[in-house]
Amino acid sequence: MKVGILSFQGSFLDHSKSIHELGHESLLIKQSKDLTSVDALILPGGESTAMKKIDQFSNLLNDVDRLIKDGIPTLSTCAGTILLAKEVIDGEVTIPNIDIEVTRNAYGRQTESFEGSVRFYDNEDIYCFIRAPKISKILSDTVNVIAQHNDEIVGVAQGNVVSLTFHPELNNDEYYLNWLNDFIKEGKNVRSF
Amino acid sequence: MKIESTNKVKKGLAEMLKGGVIMDVVNAEQAKIAEKAGAVAVMALERIPADIRADGGVARMSSVGIIQEVMDSVSIPVMAKARIGHFVEAQILDSLGIDFIDESEVLTPADEVNHINKQSFKAPFVCGATGLGEATRRIAEGASMIRTKGEAGTGNVVEAVRHMRTITNELNEVIACDENEIVALSKKFRAPLNVLEEIKEQNKLPVVNFAAGGIATPADAALMMQLGCDGVFVGSGIFKSGDPAERAEAIVIATTNYNDPKVLSEVSKDLGEPMVGINIDTLSEEEKLAKRGW
Repeated sequence: MKVGILSFQGSFLDHSKSIHELGHESLLIKQSKDLTSVDALILPGGESTAMKKIDQFSNLLNDVDRLIKDGIPTLSTCAGTILLAKEVIDGEVTIPNIDIEVTRNAYGRQTESFEGSVRFYDNEDIYCFIRAPKISKILSDTVNVIAQHNDEIVGVAQGNVVSLTFHPELNNDEYYLNWLNDFIKEGKNVRSF
Repeated sequence: MKIESTNKVKKGLAEMLKGGVIMDVVNAEQAKIAEKAGAVAVMALERIPADIRADGGVARMSSVGIIQEVMDSVSIPVMAKARIGHFVEAQILDSLGIDFIDESEVLTPADEVNHINKQSFKAPFVCGATGLGEATRRIAEGASMIRTKGEAGTGNVVEAVRHMRTITNELNEVIACDENEIVALSKKFRAPLNVLEEIKEQNKLPVVNFAAGGIATPADAALMMQLGCDGVFVGSGIFKSGDPAERAEAIVIATTNYNDPKVLSEVSKDLGEPMVGINIDTLSEEEKLAKRGW
């Protein structure tokens, strides 16, 4: 399996490590030419404003958008989730692929960043939230809540897209890696390039 | 359950900055230019290093007003500098809710023996290093991110290259050593043993390592990335150049696409005048900022 990781900037190497631990191949995607054949996509955390700017040069996100709409399994974390959200408070909509509204830097500055308990599907573990956005509204019945921190929604799934506001790639715990493996494999035959 | 400011959260922010460019700014207007150009963070300063160098005198933490002005003007993380060993300047920055503190040799050191004990602060710290010993001592004190010292305010990348190569070579020596050699290496580099053990376990530095000090062009940024840095700081190089917005943007694109000479040549076209550089050889030993820190 080949997993493409958006690599403009951010924690793309950590995601790449998760993919290698599962025995899959990871491709660091910076330009459209890197996107030749991938079975799944990951949009990592970082700074969404920087990623958007870099894309003005690379014009890669249009192709990423097409792949996601073709049904390729796609995971986003933190800034990646901002890129995929249908509506963004205090930021710009980029390639809307999941029917949620997110609020950027909703917890505050870095001093409000935290490690918190998250129920992710049927597992509970502690994950990092770093200048994280909040999923402030769910805009469609087809969006399923898959992760919660206390009463807050911190992870959602809709069709082929899973969007999280925390950073499982900084943990790489067994539960997450098993889930990721299954998620990637579902898209075995989805290729559009 | 919720715990703020853990080591993991502090190091985590540095992880999110990887592959990005952090730019020195002296006011809200410059901060907005930097954010628009794709900076992953800005360093709020009263004077950029080239001016600190030119003005002489004692360089201290920037005024709180400037730092707050910058914090209010952008949505990306804001960093600010405290003097080496000046833990009260760091306390003030921490209380402002700054996103990252740079304990920096660019400012005049406040303590000639001790660096700040960085463990007890809410904000993560970045510190400069010229070699592995310095890097690991800062990590032991609680730094969540390391950067090369380079020679700030010169527009000359030679020192940053030297520091990065030194760190990499010394790191490789630790990674390759057998377990009987590690104590001797700890002594040789004046490096805390526990950090060396961590390096050996992870086969890499346990924190992110950025390039800083003298980066002035997209090619400089790409050079540092090809040498293995995780990202770059650009200080005087942007706002001392002819067209800051365009140069800032070009350096951001070059840092992402550092391995693609075609992209590098494209963004290096028509950039206007770079900052005028200084030959390191013409600096006296006292003028070299990289000598500060212990």
